[in-house]
Amino acid sequence: MPDALPGGFAAPLLRQPAQAGLGEAAAGWLLAAPAALALFALLLGPSLMLLALSFTDWELGADGLRWIGLGNYAELLEDDSFLAALRNTLLYVAVVMPASIGLGLGVALLVEGGTRLRAAFRAIYFLPVVSLLVAMATAWQFLLHPTIGPVNRLLGLFGITPVNWLGSSDWVLPSLCAIGVWENLGYVVVLFMAGLIAIPAELYAAAEVDGARSGWARFRLVTWPLLGPTTLFVVTITAIRCLRVFDTVAALTKGGPNKASEVLLHVMYKEGFTYFRIGYSAAITAVFLAVVLALMLLQTRILDRRVHYA
Amino acid sequence: MNHLTRRGALGLSLAGLGAAALHPAAAQTGSIELTVHYPMPAFFKDVMETIAAEFTAANPGIRIRYPAPSPNYEEAVQAVLRQGAAGGLPDVSFQGLNRLRVLTERRLPVDLTPFLAREGSAEARGWSQPILNLSRFGGIQSGMAFATSNPIVYYNLNLVRRAGGDPEKLPTTWDELLALSGRIAALGDGISGMHFRWAGDDWMFSALLYGHGGRMLTEDEKDVAFNGPEGHAAVALIDRMVKEGRMQPLTVDAALQAFYAGKLGIFSGTTAYIGSMLRSIGPSVELRTTKMPVIDPVRGRLPTGGNAAVMLTRDPSRQDAAWRFIAFATGPRGQEIMTRGTGYVPNNTIAPRDERYLGAFYRENPLFRPAMEQVPIAQPWYAFPGSNGVRVTETIVDNLARIVEQRAAPEGALADMAREVKRLLPR
Repeated sequence: MPDALPGGFAAPLLRQPAQAGLGEAAAGWLLAAPAALALFALLLGPSLMLLALSFTDWELGADGLRWIGLGNYAELLEDDSFLAALRNTLLYVAVVMPASIGLGLGVALLVEGGTRLRAAFRAIYFLPVVSLLVAMATAWQFLLHPTIGPVNRLLGLFGITPVNWLGSSDWVLPSLCAIGVWENLGYVVVLFMAGLIAIPAELYAAAEVDGARSGWARFRLVTWPLLGPTTLFVVTITAIRCLRVFDTVAALTKGGPNKASEVLLHVMYKEGFTYFRIGYSAAITAVFLAVVLALMLLQTRILDRRVHYA
Repeated sequence: MNHLTRRGALGLSLAGLGAAALHPAAAQTGSIELTVHYPMPAFFKDVMETIAAEFTAANPGIRIRYPAPSPNYEEAVQAVLRQGAAGGLPDVSFQGLNRLRVLTERRLPVDLTPFLAREGSAEARGWSQPILNLSRFGGIQSGMAFATSNPIVYYNLNLVRRAGGDPEKLPTTWDELLALSGRIAALGDGISGMHFRWAGDDWMFSALLYGHGGRMLTEDEKDVAFNGPEGHAAVALIDRMVKEGRMQPLTVDAALQAFYAGKLGIFSGTTAYIGSMLRSIGPSVELRTTKMPVIDPVRGRLPTGGNAAVMLTRDPSRQDAAWRFIAFATGPRGQEIMTRGTGYVPNNTIAPRDERYLGAFYRENPLFRPAMEQVPIAQPWYAFPGSNGVRVTETIVDNLARIVEQRAAPEGALADMAREVKRLLPR
């Protein structure tokens, strides 16, 4: 009976199996249609358009466009700005992502381990996330000012010579990384705290009975494995947030001096919105999307296998 | 009695629709509504509102509508390029002088030459040839200069005095300025000597290049010309600012903040900063402005920044009204409103001379005078040909950064700059 539905309880439907299946499929499609259309119109369609544009030389306001195949991508390989931006962005992710996740986990464990002021700490660490980054960048600009900034004044008390945090090509990327960690830390803390709360207390008691006496042993045997799903999510979201670094660069350094703080999204913005080269800008965006996708695939492939879903 | 019923509400909205439908018909029978787009509302919003009010009072048949202003010149030209492709262009738009070229290459601005001819002598209306030349591109009058600026020098007299300088004899040559800057930097206590606004764009570099009598590209625009003796002298001067004037590689914002806080002695940049300077300086700053140090008294020139009114409507019946608006905004009264409201330089020779307009203003506000006095030697801000214009600018700034950070010798940086820019020029 190949047509029969599993289980015998759907007897009324069995009378006209083919028609019912068709009707059900149609209804299914109908119900899914609004969401599917929206998905296509808002996400897939524009992405395909973008991909198509990246093979053209269209400039904003130009009369027409020409199909230039991989021309834009070939130019990317010789473009100093783009290469510097790619290098700086990957460096930024490599520094900011582990630093904010490591620090965030530490802070979350400390806050969660304490007994008082949990909500207050959570709010304080979350402040940078809810504040407008461009406005905060102005505050950072003042803090890091080479001559009148409090940071250099403070260092001066210990006899350290002033550092030109945002104006020197050696220091500008480390400075932006520090601001990036500050920006992401609160987000990571809040996510990890949510993960920690979900771990049942009995597991810790059981681990202790089984001989896990030290805090480290409990962390290694209970906390860390059970935080797996949270960690996967945190790593994914932090990686994307780091890749998207733009506000601080646009507000503080404009990619300078001499491309020392150029990042992918800023180059894309400049190409598209200052140079009017939409086709080229689309190619940069395509590369950006490829990097994001590659990172996501890597993470889910590698991490998903090791994550223990309780 | 005063209850609004559903039927009443429907009726009201229908009546509203009817009125809206009647509206265009009314507009066609005599009154015209001009759409005028402008950038940088922080500087120009009040000025534009005043100009519209006075213009409408003088021309009852024409009303002015301002759509949302663009935050800066880049986005302003973006908006117009986009509308040029998709429709919905404003009748008039105020555009950055260095963006007129790309607009003209896209054939968007209406040539204003016939409208000017109608006015009789442009000179007599206050539009001198140098002023008209600021917005001439590709053989057409692409716009009419509205608010323009040129570079000047800002001093904090308190620091000048502490360093032993004479506030009444401020430097008139770069040698004097660099020496004074070095002395101010030697005061210590987190005080810096000078900042020359080299970052952001090539405008201030061109001030040094033009100051020596140089030019960016050759006459035919096929090759770079800034690597000649004038260009060498310009980059050497930037190198000396660092070595003798002890200039630090600050971002523009950081330099302005230090100046506001009384920790920077000399700042050199556009005259358009005057307004924000006056609002932002702390009590420890006594502000004075001077002209740029003279480099070559005969061949020396300075770049002009700012914007121009561009006519975009192709409809002959609207062009007439649009021209009347442009002529008012760039006429003596419009220019008086603009200058009083912003600190930019007027682009009408009648406005600053005539007591009815700005004659008294310049006597009472000496900070604004240096830029005004430099107008005769100000020439257009050079816009590079082709689609790589902004990238050329960036290449220049990046190489200047190497000099200011003392990572490259000025000659080496200039040679790299010339080679890289040459690659970006249209072939």
